[in-house]
Amino acid sequence: MENFILSGALNQINGRKDSMLEIKDLHAGFEGTEIVKGISLTVNKGEIHAIMGPNGSGKSTLSKILAGHPAYEAMGGTVTFMGKDLLELSPDQRALEGIFLGFQYPVEVPGVNNAEFLRMAYNAKMARQGKEELDPLDFDDILDEKMKLVGMDSKYKDRSLNEGFSGGEKKKNEILQMAVLQPKLAILDETDSGLDIDALRVVANGVNKLINQDNAIILITHYQRLLEYVKPHYVHVLSKGEIVKSGDKSLALDLEAQGYDWLTPVPK
Amino acid sequence: MPTTLTDTPSGAESLILDLHGKYLEEARPSEPFKGLNLASVRRFETLKFPHPKHDLFSFVNAKELAWTRFQLQRDSRIGKDIVRDHVYPGCEKSVLVVADGTFRPDLSDLSALPSQVKVSSLREAVADPAIARYLAETIESENDVFAAINGAFFNDGLYLEVEPAALVETPALILYISSGSASHPTMTVPRVLAKVGRHSEVKIVVKYAGAGGNYFVNSTQDFILEENSKVLYTHIQADPFESWSFAKDRVHLNRYSRFHGVNVYSGCKLARRHHEVHLEDSGAELKLDGVSVLTGREQAHNLVRIHHEAPQCASAQHFKNIVNESSRSSFDGSVIVNKGAQLTNSDQLINNLMLSDDAHADSKPNLMIYADDVKCTHGSTVGQLDEEQLFYLNSRGLSQGMAKSLLTRSFAESILGEIQVPAVASGLRGILSKKLEANHA
Ligand SMILES: Nc1ncnc2c1ncn2[C@@H]1O[C@H](COP(=O)(O)OP(=O)(O)OP(=O)(O)O)[C@@H](O)[C@H]1O
Ligand SMILES: [Mg+2]
Repeated sequence: MENFILSGALNQINGRKDSMLEIKDLHAGFEGTEIVKGISLTVNKGEIHAIMGPNGSGKSTLSKILAGHPAYEAMGGTVTFMGKDLLELSPDQRALEGIFLGFQYPVEVPGVNNAEFLRMAYNAKMARQGKEELDPLDFDDILDEKMKLVGMDSKYKDRSLNEGFSGGEKKKNEILQMAVLQPKLAILDETDSGLDIDALRVVANGVNKLINQDNAIILITHYQRLLEYVKPHYVHVLSKGEIVKSGDKSLALDLEAQGYDWLTPVPK
Repeated sequence: MPTTLTDTPSGAESLILDLHGKYLEEARPSEPFKGLNLASVRRFETLKFPHPKHDLFSFVNAKELAWTRFQLQRDSRIGKDIVRDHVYPGCEKSVLVVADGTFRPDLSDLSALPSQVKVSSLREAVADPAIARYLAETIESENDVFAAINGAFFNDGLYLEVEPAALVETPALILYISSGSASHPTMTVPRVLAKVGRHSEVKIVVKYAGAGGNYFVNSTQDFILEENSKVLYTHIQADPFESWSFAKDRVHLNRYSRFHGVNVYSGCKLARRHHEVHLEDSGAELKLDGVSVLTGREQAHNLVRIHHEAPQCASAQHFKNIVNESSRSSFDGSVIVNKGAQLTNSDQLINNLMLSDDAHADSKPNLMIYADDVKCTHGSTVGQLDEEQLFYLNSRGLSQGMAKSLLTRSFAESILGEIQVPAVASGLRGILSKKLEANHA
């Protein structure tokens, strides 16, 4: 509770002008079932936030609501992103505003060429910014550089999007997409799960390359392990749809040592 | 609720019979065509236009067509410029143009085809008694009323013969271009007979297109594959909406011969394809794929009859239909495995993608097996675009329209990817993308 207040206070000190994402008392779920039960969270430019919490606590639900998944509905509260009402925007508009969701379970899309898809996404962003779209040859240079960055073999360019990729390959592909699209706010939903240590370093490297004064990252994770490579400014614990504790990165260590049992939802 | 057929009242046949009388008087077909025409018209009278319960026409409402008073096309206004629009890169010098039903050497260019490919008119070809006999036999046993109409009116056509042991790299493109007439609906009856000699391999592309609508192109194409020959076949139906586009493709497969057909339909008022395949000797293989991309009120219908007549043959069919708005597709396919055709392998799969509630896609896969040691599968699926895939693409900044057309294209891709002539495949991809983007915009 203490830490939660502290985090909020810090955000205020950091000043409104740098605020990127403001979630206020968000209630959300799907098919009438409330999963997220009153979350408030402010993410400022330049910050890395980690969200941890037991299985089924609503972490992915929160991330999907932020990205605009049509099956999920906001039932109350507000979300403001860069001064705009995020909940009013369609998923593609949100992406073009700079939101990127790294999926916990990246979707396989047979028949859609990986490189072509990435170029379409990149060009959609260019078009939005009034910049020139790239033809396949020019885009290839960018893609090669980013693939090197995430340690992906160039053979994945010609594969169908995520089709038949191993779990680790899918996660790397998410990081590749993030590296190509350079979002303002990346929400990475367990991008570190199921990765061997090399792949984990790739993910961490991708995150560290992205972060700067102008953007922010929300890392949803179960493991302290990733946080050895990526230093979050804040750690929040989600339990049964509520943030029950917020603190600095030492909280992650406590969680690793003690589990979640000592935390219960804040009584209303 | 597979059918919307209303009765075709008897009497529609008289329109065709009247036209036939006029044709005999005016065109004065010479033998053997006259005899074939008369035999065909008798077949037509026996078969009659489809009534609702006709098993070859479960999903095709041919009533309007049957009651249309057609005239036969006499003059053609198709010139080189129209032809040029439809020639695929790499086929510029291997193109055979059938303009308004008539083979036009002046619009064709065969200079890139090797001498082992012989092209002639059917009039010349019937001098060979074997060819005359083949035509007579097919006409006597014709089971499709529209093919019988073709037989009643044809008095020429195109004959292609590939000599034995020829490996023909350059694809031969047969372009059917129809122009119709502004005042009167016109019917054309192109007929092609192709014989591919032993151990030969050839790529054939046929495309149906139009310059103007209001026509009924009613074609038949016969392919005779001799021992161990191979045909890679691409069939493109791209007629304008106002047309009726019918074709019957008949394939005879000899020992160890292989026929791989990919059929791509963009639909029109009524497009119908009848594929009749005979696997006549052991080791023969058929692969027949198709994809329809339909919108508005376009229709495309497939009727497939595959006859396994010998042991150890294989056939595989994969048809996909993408139906949007109030378009309509159907697939009616039977695999018939004869008594002696042991060790037959046969697969049949139909996938329909429904993009609108008003669209229809009917499937009737069917197996008739009279042999006991066979491996046959068949199935059909109906689905919409996957919501999770759409969201995934949206979440990367692709608009709903872009995401839908990308996913739809990927649905078609598994069929387009089978086309063995790259320029044709990429041309079709481009046209398809445009059509889908216009749709989803
Ligand atoms: N699409 C859905 N359909 C049905 N139930 C769902 C759906 N999405 C989430 N849930 C349920 O909502 C609750 C929260 O799920 P959510 O995926 O948000 O949890 P999580 O914190 O991401 O868990 P994990 O750590 O396992 O990824 C769970 O009880 C889950 O079963
Ligand atoms: Mg989750």
